Amino acid sequence: MKYTPRQPDTNVNVTPTSPLKDFFVLSGGLLVITVAVYFLLGFAVDLIIPHISPETEKKMSVIFGNLAEKETAFPEKHRKLQALLDTIQQNCAKLPYDFKIHIKKADTINALAMPGGHIIVFTGLLDKVTSENELAYILGHEIGHYANRDHLRGLGRALVFMTISVALFGTDSSIGNMVGHGLNISEMSFSRRQEAKADEFGLEMLNCTYGHVGGATDFFSRISKEKDPSIFGHYFSSHPENQERIKHINLLIKNRNFKKEKLKAMF
Amino acid sequence: MEQLIIFLFLLALGYTAGTIAEKSHYRSIEQRERDLLRLPAITMKQIPYSGDQIQSATIVHGSVVISVDYFKRLLAKLRNIFGGTVKSYESLADRARREAILRMKEMAGSATIIVNVRIETATIGKNAHRKGVGCMEAVAYGTAVVVKKN
Repeated sequence: MKYTPRQPDTNVNVTPTSPLKDFFVLSGGLLVITVAVYFLLGFAVDLIIPHISPETEKKMSVIFGNLAEKETAFPEKHRKLQALLDTIQQNCAKLPYDFKIHIKKADTINALAMPGGHIIVFTGLLDKVTSENELAYILGHEIGHYANRDHLRGLGRALVFMTISVALFGTDSSIGNMVGHGLNISEMSFSRRQEAKADEFGLEMLNCTYGHVGGATDFFSRISKEKDPSIFGHYFSSHPENQERIKHINLLIKNRNFKKEKLKAMF
Repeated sequence: MEQLIIFLFLLALGYTAGTIAEKSHYRSIEQRERDLLRLPAITMKQIPYSGDQIQSATIVHGSVVISVDYFKRLLAKLRNIFGGTVKSYESLADRARREAILRMKEMAGSATIIVNVRIETATIGKNAHRKGVGCMEAVAYGTAVVVKKN
């Protein structure tokens, strides 16, 4: 046996490939599929939402932690605010929720509707309100979000995104964490359409409670003259969208022939 | 946002540095393979020499650890979702094996033949027991036989 040393002509163990092309094809395909799945699941969420009962929603809201704090900071204001909310709920809204007011001390001019029926009102907002009617409108607007199940939509979309991210990248991945940070679940911002529907609901609550809609847009118009935009929540009117909201509310008032009468002073 | 920029930077760095490293390594491998061609390394256990012809027989081994770059790792992760051959790791395994054989031959020095050659590979590093590859180690070992010249 004679040994003839010889180099192989081609390297059979390595496929000739263009890694950049591979990368773009794979990540492009993945992006397209993810976007398609996201939209499909978005539609699915819209289909499922009407079938989720308020009891189930309450159970889901537990993941946001225990919001029921001792209301010792502003007992008088809290009692009156809760009473106003209860009046609106019992006489006009009659929604299957157990609404609870939480007053938090902050300069933010905002009110938040959290899942499960907890409504947080910041002292910044209470300081700016001059009539009971304005406050009733704001509360009506917030419970309008519950009537339209708006939280669940926000929750649903965020949940869908997180599920996709975990399925693709695993629970312990830098890319997955990036996606998670991008979604601030606790922020729970609503779309323009959801806000418009909540405005309609708020207006109807106002009309039902007082017999007229005086004070509906007062709050928005007044704080548009304020200087400092940083303390505003989703009520800040320097944003052109809020001008649209005021117009939309005024149009509703005109179309439904709502009246405007004397306002009740703020407590 | 900064995380995305860092990610893209690492990706570009991995791609360029990785490509350069791979090309220069292959050049070195091919060069040394040509030089060491005269020393056969075979997997056969029997050798065509009788006992009194053998001067010495020693174990020789070559090992190398090669790491994969960031770009290749990401490509493999994407491939893990869709399935198929992970081409980005093929060159890694190939280079590791060939380099290990070459180092084994270099250890053998002026031996006549290396018999009973085996190659083993292992993954080491942070991702070794999870999905993904950190570094790949290849060990080639065999018996270097020096035959008496008569």
